[in-house]
Amino acid sequence: MANGGQRDGQRGGWPERLGPEGGRPARAGLSEAILTFLERGVSLVVSSSDRANRPRVGRALAVQVPADGTWIGVCLDRTANAALLAAVAETGRFALAATEPSTHLSIQLIGEDATVTVADAEATALAARHVDAFAAELALIGYGDAFTRALMAHDPATLAVVRFCPSRLYDQTPGPKAGTAVPP
Amino acid sequence: MSAATSASLTLDAIRACLEGAVPATIATCAPDGTPNVSLLSQVHYVDPDHVALSYQFFNKTRANILANPIAVLQVIDPPTAAQYRMELCYLRTETTGPLFESMKAKLAGIASHVGMQDVFRLLGADLYRVTAIEAVPGGAPLPAPVAQRSLLSATRRACEALRGCADLTELLDHSLCVLRRLFGVEHALILMPDEATGRLFTVAALGYDSSGVGSEVAPGEGVIGVAARERVPIRITHMTSDVAYSLTARDGAEDAGLTGGPAREIPFPGLERPHSQLAVPILAGRRLAGVLFVESRQEMRFTYDDEDALATLAAQLGALIQALPPAEDVAPVPAACPQAGGAPVVVRHYAADDSVFVDHDYLIKGVAGAILWKLVRDHTTLGRTDFTNRELRLAPDIPLPDFAENLEARLILLQRRLAERCGVLRIEKTGRGRFRLVVTKPLLLQETA
Repeated sequence: MANGGQRDGQRGGWPERLGPEGGRPARAGLSEAILTFLERGVSLVVSSSDRANRPRVGRALAVQVPADGTWIGVCLDRTANAALLAAVAETGRFALAATEPSTHLSIQLIGEDATVTVADAEATALAARHVDAFAAELALIGYGDAFTRALMAHDPATLAVVRFCPSRLYDQTPGPKAGTAVPP
Repeated sequence: MSAATSASLTLDAIRACLEGAVPATIATCAPDGTPNVSLLSQVHYVDPDHVALSYQFFNKTRANILANPIAVLQVIDPPTAAQYRMELCYLRTETTGPLFESMKAKLAGIASHVGMQDVFRLLGADLYRVTAIEAVPGGAPLPAPVAQRSLLSATRRACEALRGCADLTELLDHSLCVLRRLFGVEHALILMPDEATGRLFTVAALGYDSSGVGSEVAPGEGVIGVAARERVPIRITHMTSDVAYSLTARDGAEDAGLTGGPAREIPFPGLERPHSQLAVPILAGRRLAGVLFVESRQEMRFTYDDEDALATLAAQLGALIQALPPAEDVAPVPAACPQAGGAPVVVRHYAADDSVFVDHDYLIKGVAGAILWKLVRDHTTLGRTDFTNRELRLAPDIPLPDFAENLEARLILLQRRLAERCGVLRIEKTGRGRFRLVVTKPLLLQETA
């Protein structure tokens, strides 16, 4: 399956590993470099916790970054993530970890103000595009297209979007720097 | 999620998710409820109710589980992409011992596989109880591939095949035969321990250019040595660049430096670039009777199910070894000394390590060397050719440990080394506990202190 082929450049710290800043303004308190990273073909995993402090885990389909927003949206399949979405609705707690499989670059965004909303047409289209980008990314390290599409299979009619404004960012690239705070 | 012990979905049923082929996701939360989510390179199956996670760095996940022991995992079945969630409760961290060592070996393979060999380092094995398992609803998993063989059937038939074996030679030979025929194994070794030094020496081999019979592995060295020391199966699913698990890199320098003179190391026959390795201890009661080792050039060749199957086979082999009757009940039978013609060959014995050289070529050392030296001495001075296991056991100059199969293992080793490396001497079994030394040229014996 995976062939272990890796891109260079997994060493160093955030945000310099993301490359030069572009022209887009920061949104949702995040730099353009981080927003661009979230829109790449990255692996998106999420968590929340309920009132009893029980953690919930899930896999997300795409990140939505509105042009003028103060929040970012995370698309999820409702059927697969019912308990997690219930916890988000209950506590507003939400964590998103985005990892680029070919480089291991990883960042976690945490917020306390998350809300669950219905996905609009743009979010549904984003999810489909992200599956394509993720499949291309995983192909770099030897995963077949069928595997990735099975992993990311979802019903476009049952998508939810968790909206949140990240208040804390952490470097999560494996290594001794994992867990250090990243400037937005 | 429903309780793992009562639901139809068990941890054993989803073990393929825990091979390290696809990263898992772990979520925890701090005492104030702040969630944390990250990818996890290794989830290790311990038993039907427990998993262990690799502790490599003191990160937020670790801080959280020390304060709030509940974690949830999402794991992926590599062939189908089906996903499962597991709820866990943290119990403790182990930093030495069988669980730690088996995870450390496996992580070495995973780390090399994903290009993180300089980053991944196991600090501890975090043990968790599995409290619930569920299949993630929805999705569209791929059809499961058809298995190449039934490991349960292979195990049953392999155990049945071993049952009729009369002695250790047959047990070893049949074991390798069933590994090839029933399990599709192409490369295998059986090693047995020298109880005085703890080193393991190869007594049977399958699928190598040179058999390597007589090659040695130190306790704790490579997957074989760790399996022997910890008495736990050690399995690596991907080729590792970690030299700690490389056996073929050894050059015998340590041995040459010990005694001086010509090298006394038989090269280890293992594959140069194994992608999968599995070493299973063979226990006879509480005693280590040997190690069964298999390897392959194919990644992920040996799974949890293969490990269970070969552990079952090794358990059967250990029980049968323990039950072998002592093969030394027959009195010596004198035989006429056969004529040996031609130019003599020099057999040199080094007393320091009982190594024996034939015409300057290294043949054997240790207990097997001491046995050979006694045989050739008795042959040249007394004209004897027929010997018994009993007299070897009683011989004061042969330092044999307690158990009957130790002598038999040395004789098997000696017999196979002679067959491979010496055209002048050979050992033939002549009955239960009896054998004959066949000498085809005159021998000139030289003793060196």
